[in-house]
Amino acid sequence: MRAVRRISVFLAVVLLVGLGAGGGATQEKPRYGGVLTWFDYGDPGRLDVAGIWSGLLHWDPDDPAKITGDLAERWRASPDGKTYTFELRKGVKWHDGQPFSAADVKATFDRILNPEFKSPKCGASLKPMVASLEVLDRYTVRFRLKAPVVSFLGAIASAWCRVAAKHVLEKYGDLDRPEAQIGTGPFKFKRYERGNLIEWEKNRDYFVPGLPYLDGVKQYILVGAPTQLAAAKVGRVMLWDTWPPMRKTQVAELARARGNEIDTYQWPVNAIYAIYMNVHKPPFSNPDLRRAVNLAVDRQELVEKALEGAGVPCAILDPKLVGDFALPFEEVAKIAGCRQPKDQDIAEAKRLVEKHYPNGIDVEFAVRAVGNYLDRAQLLVGQLTRIGIRGTIKSYESAAGYAAFGKGDFTLIATQDRGMNSTDPGDVFHLVYTTEAGSNYARWSDPKVDDLAARALRESNRERRKQLYWELQRHILSDAPGAVAVGWVEGWFFRDKRVINYKPAKTAYDNNTFMKVSLRE
Amino acid sequence: MRALASSLRCFGARQPLGAVGAAIVAVLVATAVFAPALAPHGPKEAVFTPYLAPSPEFPFGTDHLGRDQLSRVIWGARLSLYVGLVSVVFGVTLGGLWGVVTGYFGGAGDNASQRIVDVLMALPPIILALSLMAALGQSMNNVVLALAILLAPTAARTLRALALSIKESPFVEAARAVGCSHWRVIVLHVLPNTLAAYIVLLTVNIAYAIVVEASLSFLGLGAPPDEPSWGAMLNAGAQAIEAAPWMFLFPGLAISLTVLGLNLVGDAIRDLTDPRLRGGLG
Repeated sequence: MRAVRRISVFLAVVLLVGLGAGGGATQEKPRYGGVLTWFDYGDPGRLDVAGIWSGLLHWDPDDPAKITGDLAERWRASPDGKTYTFELRKGVKWHDGQPFSAADVKATFDRILNPEFKSPKCGASLKPMVASLEVLDRYTVRFRLKAPVVSFLGAIASAWCRVAAKHVLEKYGDLDRPEAQIGTGPFKFKRYERGNLIEWEKNRDYFVPGLPYLDGVKQYILVGAPTQLAAAKVGRVMLWDTWPPMRKTQVAELARARGNEIDTYQWPVNAIYAIYMNVHKPPFSNPDLRRAVNLAVDRQELVEKALEGAGVPCAILDPKLVGDFALPFEEVAKIAGCRQPKDQDIAEAKRLVEKHYPNGIDVEFAVRAVGNYLDRAQLLVGQLTRIGIRGTIKSYESAAGYAAFGKGDFTLIATQDRGMNSTDPGDVFHLVYTTEAGSNYARWSDPKVDDLAARALRESNRERRKQLYWELQRHILSDAPGAVAVGWVEGWFFRDKRVINYKPAKTAYDNNTFMKVSLRE
Repeated sequence: MRALASSLRCFGARQPLGAVGAAIVAVLVATAVFAPALAPHGPKEAVFTPYLAPSPEFPFGTDHLGRDQLSRVIWGARLSLYVGLVSVVFGVTLGGLWGVVTGYFGGAGDNASQRIVDVLMALPPIILALSLMAALGQSMNNVVLALAILLAPTAARTLRALALSIKESPFVEAARAVGCSHWRVIVLHVLPNTLAAYIVLLTVNIAYAIVVEASLSFLGLGAPPDEPSWGAMLNAGAQAIEAAPWMFLFPGLAISLTVLGLNLVGDAIRDLTDPRLRGGLG
């Protein structure tokens, strides 16, 4: 009897240990195989798909707050901080079998840094920083900066600064077409069906041994919030980690439908929500009219209604992402245009409009028909009607909208989110507000902004840098800018619990290579 | 006045469903005409709390942007009626004239014109309307134009068939025999005899035009986004179908009732004007 009891206890202990170990193993151990499904909100303007490319550096998939090597094995800065040398991995192959070398890095960044080449993300960040790039040997490159810049590595690690193949660029000129989708990343381009999906397949020659775990990734093109939500509710997409984020009502609906099969979370998108006015076209060529709009826009209402509260109104910088580089809320809340109640600012805005247009003015509000931009545009029409600017909405398909905005073919863009490259406080100014900013659709040029942004970029003393950014924010919020900062965008996302080891990055798209992601059975 | 009341009573007795339809249409027309007085708030006034459920203050609730749904449904009646009436009057009139004239003259011109009608009728209506809107751009007038183009071929085909039989009638032969010109015959003898069919086409197609406009707006290619179109309201409601079912319920009801009313009236008019269906003559 005692023997039976001993055996029973022994078996129970073995069972418990086994179960514990097994449970731990299923939590941690990645599994090979499976296809991850997610989506994009529209056909891409360019086919440079995340998982296909690698960067010199990237934000660590295991710790998205940390920069780590990708194609670069090691890197070092010179003592004066003006040069950065990158030693590249050897034996890396492009998806077409060609060897990767420093010549590819040079071809990529020479193209991006070319003043004639439009690169609204990577180029906009790097052009103010980088003077030149040289190849030291087959596996070493050196960037010479115009001045020491603390944010250089963050910019290089951005998902927008991936490395392309020299021979592909020479052959096709750009990366737009399917044949040009040749990277060194964990996945290879498989197919693109316009309006339907982009499919990637596992790169079996990926330079990180053992990765990726997934057999492939399917990125559906899902236009319209009801379609996106329906796909999430039936489990057709496993991940919502893309712009536009879900709204509170949507996430509640999804949670009811999927219960404990998913994790939902609120997360900053690292994007600014802006309204652009074309400063080269009447009426917004007149600073008084821009000032009027800047005063009249009720940011709090827009964030509350259009983002269902998931955002930081009036923020040019989000303190959650850049800490005290953001102008303190207490000060922002007192600035004309941002302060509440709005009566005084609306009266002043109305006076400014009446001064030039006693009977008010009709203006076309351009907007890309993506996300909830049409809702935002409608709210703006209502707000500006109060000061005599009567808006009619003209909606564009996503890519057509970008094309029109890029050519300056608009009077006012009712809403446009601009995602940052990194969490550096300088990004927003070099992407939206400086004369050469990649997304300066308004074509606004203010010497004070250019000067402050350039000085802040080169400033190594943190406190002085902070003061420069504060001054920039004060100036933009209270002047007559080409782009009115409505606020900083946040939102809700979800992850299917089958997806293992996916950690969202602080900047959209930074962790979308899925190199370490795997799927449970 | 007494005569009108008597006619209405008579209509109600002979076409009870038609009378119900007429009552619905009368409410729709009154709502559209008196929208500024009836709507408690502006249709674009986004000043209330979003997603408020129906209550005494907001009988139809508020939408996702904090607009009063009742006001938007009321103003939506005006938009729907405008689009329905104007597009149908244009489309059916121009299409009808096209059919009558080409049918009357016949020959190669008629043949060519019928092939164009074939082509237009072969295209699925909503695809044709979507393509036209994509090409023309989003505005109320372009919705009207797209719908008119959509409706013209059916009117042309229907009224041409009538014109073919009318032109063989003895009274047309008599008119020609006394020296009337072709155009005089068309204007004075053929067109008046297509009037009943024309009126039926008008009434039936208004409902159709309203549904197509709502469909286009639902798909984001109809009325401009801020206009209170019932279709666009349905689209917004579809995005919060669980959180705020009133957002799609009321515009959906408005569309259904309007189409029901117009179809009932159209059927009644058809019955009254068709000798085979008219009571007492069969």
